[in-house]
Amino acid sequence: MRSSVSYILSSSTSEPNMSHPDYEQYSHDHASLLVLVKHIGTQLKPKVFSKYFDRISKLASVRITDSTGTVRNILLRYVKEYPVENNDWGDFQTHRRLLGLISLGKYDSQQELNEICRVHESFKVKYNTTLFDSRCILFGPTKDSESPSDENPTSSSSGDSENSSENKIEKYTTPSNFKTRALFYDVSSACLDLENQLNEFVNSLFWVLDSKRVERSREKLERVSLLLAPFEKKDFVGLDMESRNNKKRCTGRMTKHLGDLYLQTGLLAESITYYSQAVDILKSINDWLWLGAAYEGLCAASALVLYPDMQRNVPLQRNASLQEGSPRKSSQTPPAIGLLNKKTISNALIPEEISKKYREAIIHYSKYQNAGIIETEASFKAARITVEQSHALQAASFLQNVVYINLQLSEQEKIQRFETLADLYSQIGFCRKAAFCLRLAATRYVSPQNPSPNWSRCYALMLQSLSGHHLNLDPVEMRAADQGWPALQIQLIQELVVAARRTGHSALATRHMTFLLQTMWPHLNSTEQKELAVQLQSLSAQCEGSPVPLVLDSGLVVPPANLTDIPLCAAFTPKDLQSHLRPRRIESNKQDTGPFLFTPIHFGGGGSLDRRSRKSISKLDFLWVQNEMCEVQLKLVNPLPFELKVSNMRLLTGGAVFESLPETIVLPPDVPTSLTLSGWARESGELELSGYSTHTLGVKSNCRLRHMPVSSNFPPYYKVQVVPTLPILEVSTTFPTYVSFSNFQDENTVTSASVSLYHGESIECTLTLKNISDVPVEMLDIEINSILEHSLQDQIFKWDNEEVQKLLPIPPGESIGVTLLFHSAANFLAPNVAVSPTIPQDMSSGPFSSMSPSIPGGSLPSRYNSSFRSTNSGQSSLAAGLTSLFQQQQLSTSVEAQLKLKYSGSEGLTSEYCRSCSVFLMLDMTPSLQVTNWDVLPAETHSQFYLVLDIANLTGQEMELQYTPTKTMLIEGHESCRVPIPVDRCPLSKLSGLYQELNEGNVDARNEIDVNKICSEHITDLVVLKWHLLGSDNRGVASLKGITLTSRMLDIVRMSPLDWEVKINGDVVKAQEEVTCEAGDCLNLKMSIVNSLQKTLQQLTLSVQFYQDYENGTLNYRMDTRLATAGCTKKLFSSLEPQAAVDHECNVIFFTPGYYKLDIQCCAPECLTAPKINPLISQGHVWRFTPTVSFQVN
Amino acid sequence: MAVCAAIIGKDNSSKFFVTLNPDEELHFQYKVLSSLDIIEDKLATGTKGGADTKELYLGMLLSLETYKIYGYVTNTKIKFVIVVDSTNVVLRDNEIRSMFRKIHSEFADIVSNPFYIPGEPIISKNFTTSMKNIMTGTV
Amino acid sequence: MADESLFDFLHNEIVNYILDKDDNKSNEGKEEDLSILEYIGFSTGYRIIERLTKEMPRFKDELDTMKFLCTDFWCALYKKQIDNLRTNHHGIYVLQDNNFRFLMNLSNGKQYLEVAPRYVAFTCGIIRGCLANLNIMCLVTAEVQNMPSCKFHIQVQRT
Repeated sequence: MRSSVSYILSSSTSEPNMSHPDYEQYSHDHASLLVLVKHIGTQLKPKVFSKYFDRISKLASVRITDSTGTVRNILLRYVKEYPVENNDWGDFQTHRRLLGLISLGKYDSQQELNEICRVHESFKVKYNTTLFDSRCILFGPTKDSESPSDENPTSSSSGDSENSSENKIEKYTTPSNFKTRALFYDVSSACLDLENQLNEFVNSLFWVLDSKRVERSREKLERVSLLLAPFEKKDFVGLDMESRNNKKRCTGRMTKHLGDLYLQTGLLAESITYYSQAVDILKSINDWLWLGAAYEGLCAASALVLYPDMQRNVPLQRNASLQEGSPRKSSQTPPAIGLLNKKTISNALIPEEISKKYREAIIHYSKYQNAGIIETEASFKAARITVEQSHALQAASFLQNVVYINLQLSEQEKIQRFETLADLYSQIGFCRKAAFCLRLAATRYVSPQNPSPNWSRCYALMLQSLSGHHLNLDPVEMRAADQGWPALQIQLIQELVVAARRTGHSALATRHMTFLLQTMWPHLNSTEQKELAVQLQSLSAQCEGSPVPLVLDSGLVVPPANLTDIPLCAAFTPKDLQSHLRPRRIESNKQDTGPFLFTPIHFGGGGSLDRRSRKSISKLDFLWVQNEMCEVQLKLVNPLPFELKVSNMRLLTGGAVFESLPETIVLPPDVPTSLTLSGWARESGELELSGYSTHTLGVKSNCRLRHMPVSSNFPPYYKVQVVPTLPILEVSTTFPTYVSFSNFQDENTVTSASVSLYHGESIECTLTLKNISDVPVEMLDIEINSILEHSLQDQIFKWDNEEVQKLLPIPPGESIGVTLLFHSAANFLAPNVAVSPTIPQDMSSGPFSSMSPSIPGGSLPSRYNSSFRSTNSGQSSLAAGLTSLFQQQQLSTSVEAQLKLKYSGSEGLTSEYCRSCSVFLMLDMTPSLQVTNWDVLPAETHSQFYLVLDIANLTGQEMELQYTPTKTMLIEGHESCRVPIPVDRCPLSKLSGLYQELNEGNVDARNEIDVNKICSEHITDLVVLKWHLLGSDNRGVASLKGITLTSRMLDIVRMSPLDWEVKINGDVVKAQEEVTCEAGDCLNLKMSIVNSLQKTLQQLTLSVQFYQDYENGTLNYRMDTRLATAGCTKKLFSSLEPQAAVDHECNVIFFTPGYYKLDIQCCAPECLTAPKINPLISQGHVWRFTPTVSFQVN
Repeated sequence: MAVCAAIIGKDNSSKFFVTLNPDEELHFQYKVLSSLDIIEDKLATGTKGGADTKELYLGMLLSLETYKIYGYVTNTKIKFVIVVDSTNVVLRDNEIRSMFRKIHSEFADIVSNPFYIPGEPIISKNFTTSMKNIMTGTV
Repeated sequence: MADESLFDFLHNEIVNYILDKDDNKSNEGKEEDLSILEYIGFSTGYRIIERLTKEMPRFKDELDTMKFLCTDFWCALYKKQIDNLRTNHHGIYVLQDNNFRFLMNLSNGKQYLEVAPRYVAFTCGIIRGCLANLNIMCLVTAEVQNMPSCKFHIQVQRT
């Protein structure tokens, strides 16, 4: 836009040029009458003055009807200052002439009044070349110092000054030489007629001006003298004034001047005509400066036609209420005029032309260095028009031009220039450019060239420029927006910090520095980070930063900033309570979770392609307890290269009331440090953990998770459910704790108890439960967990639950003791004895048979919270023989179990929560004795039998064994001995049920086992092996539980369902007695059988058989050559009624001497009644007469 | 030869900025930032019509005393800005245009790079080298 | 035409992979979770559009963009143009491809209709991604009534 021939026509001398640019000008001001409103004296408060100034300014246009009846719209412009130098340009552009003067002053005395008048007069003299008229508004003394109210000057004065002063204020009069019309008012009054007075004043100005216009327009154009711009005066010295060119110049300039006057007097159409003529004339003689002015006039007039309503921003009416009473007539331009203008004035430029012509004007101006200010102003005016036309780019180019104009300006003027530019840029929406200008203006305020630096203005402008740099003082919004031009932003904030500090706002400086470190952290390199942190430290030394909003005088609120990156939080993990303190639901009823909802399509957020940000779960799946210490573990990293002390770290929470415990930590550089923040929830309900607070580098910060860098992936908060208070029990036992590791000890375990017992030994343990909380324990549940079967478990661990319940409640501080009985239950039977493979687990339970197939090896699936471990797991296939047994006897077995305590109380109980803790129990079971072998022998009496046991003492000590109530014996350590124990035979009553079944035909394999079981239990009940280790004085009881019996044994053990009576030669055969006879003797055998069962036996076969026992395991039944029998050796009874008896007789002769045995048996063939399902087992039952009868044949 | 090139994202934040003289970076950032105003205005008025506004190349945005700033906006509203020394008369409109085309190609390539997440600042040595080559006209 | 087949095969394998992965997780949801597939499409579309619009003049308006999508864009991807574009001029566009590439080899009628969504999800994502990068936020759904014809409904979200 700049002319390429810039400055060529300008002289380089320091000619008087306009040194005071008026950036506020609008093109409309070309048409307005300039009025200076002057504040005189110190009595009138500036605030009151500006209030009146605003009020006066409202009268921006006045409609005056001239002599021809035409309504002229007269515009007015009021200024508070007007450099007299600018007046000199009045010839060039008449709107620069100051036409009117209104001064305002307040007086309390005549003396002051005189002074005001004197000053007013001096202003009149100063501007006397152009001034047409003036008014002096005088505010008299307030009432209390004044005369009565009727003399109040408020009501004064539509009349002239003399009158009003005479009539109203007798005491105070203006000096006689004061020729100005004075208006007397009271400061506190409404000054109702002020507008009328002003109107009248404007009228007077207009009429003078209009008369001048008329006068000028009547002058002969050829005769007029040359109009000059101030700096031109020298240029035209000595020029030929009569030349044709010069004539034209005179004419052209005068025509332009007339245009100005017509424009000012409201004759738009005429002014446009004059301007157009002037353009033509001036163009022909290359009078560029004036051509420019003519163009500008043309544009101004056209703009007035097109955009009559274009106005400078009306200042905010802060005192609007005060002015409510004041009339507002004629103060605003009725819009109708604009419409009227557009229709009637056809010669105005079209909008596009205006900016084009302005451009030309500016180019022409730019050729004169001395016209710099005119050019600047024209650029602003043009920009304002294009703003009105909303041609942002054109406006921008006009504004851009301003910057290039090289002017000798004061710093203040430079600043104003930038501020005006910024204002206009922001009007066209160029917020970045505006911000740039604001920042330049701000730096100018404090530049070294500026004689009076103004840091607070600088600061204010810096603040304004923030938005243009995408900076928002709220760190939260900054984080959200993250629109990075970080390099610029960092610089700007740093400048802001400096400005704030120099202004004396230490708090703000600290705040801004904190903000910088919070929001720009990722964009700073480590050196910058360190430097800024150090700076912050020194700033905060003057004023500590804290997370509260700061309110500036301007009303601006600076939101809190927090050091979220110093220290850097790498992890924020709320900790569950220690397992044994965790609250648990008492009733673990499965919650009915509503219908399963599934959203198949998940739309990625907007246009973001970032997959890294994943939502983390914020609702924690554990519970905290009211009034109990809760912990959050933080992992902090100090990113700064020096040691950082962070004090007063607390948790930030929401929801339930929380009391946080402050922590202080010193962080070495760059080493992740863990820190636990703790506190107490003082209320039950939902607790939100939203972050933590810190105090470091002199700044208190609230670091909230949701404001943390996205990369750290924190949820906005963690939610924890806090349950009401629960008691805490401290558990101890009388037994030593078990120190070594066990996989059976889970985190729930609070203590342990271990004891070593010999098999069969019992011991009492007292469990002490102390309530260490402030609330009573009202509920207590004890249970044992192990992998043992319940029956065995119940044998090993015993307590009296009712007794426990009686001890409740446990008041705070009190303790109770619970007695727990340990019994070392074991299988005392050596496994090498043949047992039926079909024996179920419950019969052979005990450590030796604990290798249930569900537990492979010794490793336990982790889901078992209780387990059973056998240390001698390798011996599942125990080899027979004592030797191996003794070798193994060192290997004791251990039983591990968990004593689970569930307890609750207080409010926690009402809301159905309890705690659970467990005691780890370790029971070492050492073998005491073992029955390595057993057998049964018929006793002398029918009602008893002998149980013969091989008992091995597996201990190293001497053992006293009491195997019957009366008999004891001593067994040396590692010795074995055999004891016969008389036992009552298993009565039929125990077995009757079995036979009932048998009769009904529901016979199957189970029968044998059932019989076995019943008999085994029978023996177990009767045989008690009390042992006493003499060395260590341990006592215990061994049981034969699980003893298995072969069917042969069974027949001996149980009472026979048949009562036998065998007579040989008439003598009843007694047990254990031998029958002696000679070979060849005939012996008469008489057998009678009585059925003692409750049912009839069918198809009973009685058989008699002799055999020889070689006592080497061989039984010889082939007796044909050795003996002969007479009579049946077999007899079938078709049925035997209960209690009925049958008899059988036969005879026998032994041929050779020897030892013979007689086997008498009865066989009831179940196979006949039952279907032959399993002939191998269901061979029918055989009852023998026991003991077998022996014959010694001599 | 261009002295500065910048890529500005949809949200008007700087995604890539390179200057031949690293010391001048901040200085140029201010210039480029203010030129965004003009780009935005051109885009806003451009949609209303006009044949030439359909071109991605926006032409000269600003002519400062020492520098000229040119702009280019992709269909995806990514802005490319080139700053050229005013004294440089070799670079005509067509050269600038082809420079922008090359930048656009490079940009399309980097967007296709799976390790680049669109919308993030571009940090790539390779890309920087290519951009510098385009600026100095060595390609 | 090896390259084209490659695209088809790759697409099919991606579909299978996604479904496999889905199976492994849990099959509680009745509908198949095609969101990952859609996202792959979105990402692809978002990136490829930068390249495809490189030589294009600036789009005048939304409709202009849609036209580009139907012609040049569809050609670049599927070697054919969209057969029919309809709009209500209030942000809803329906793009109809009578012979949609990914369905072409599947069936010629109603067979396999229930698996058709698997083979259009990727393309829905592509469309959404393209438009997202062109600053048109929208919802894209596909409708298959009779294979291999497919209708893509674009619903522009006005803010």
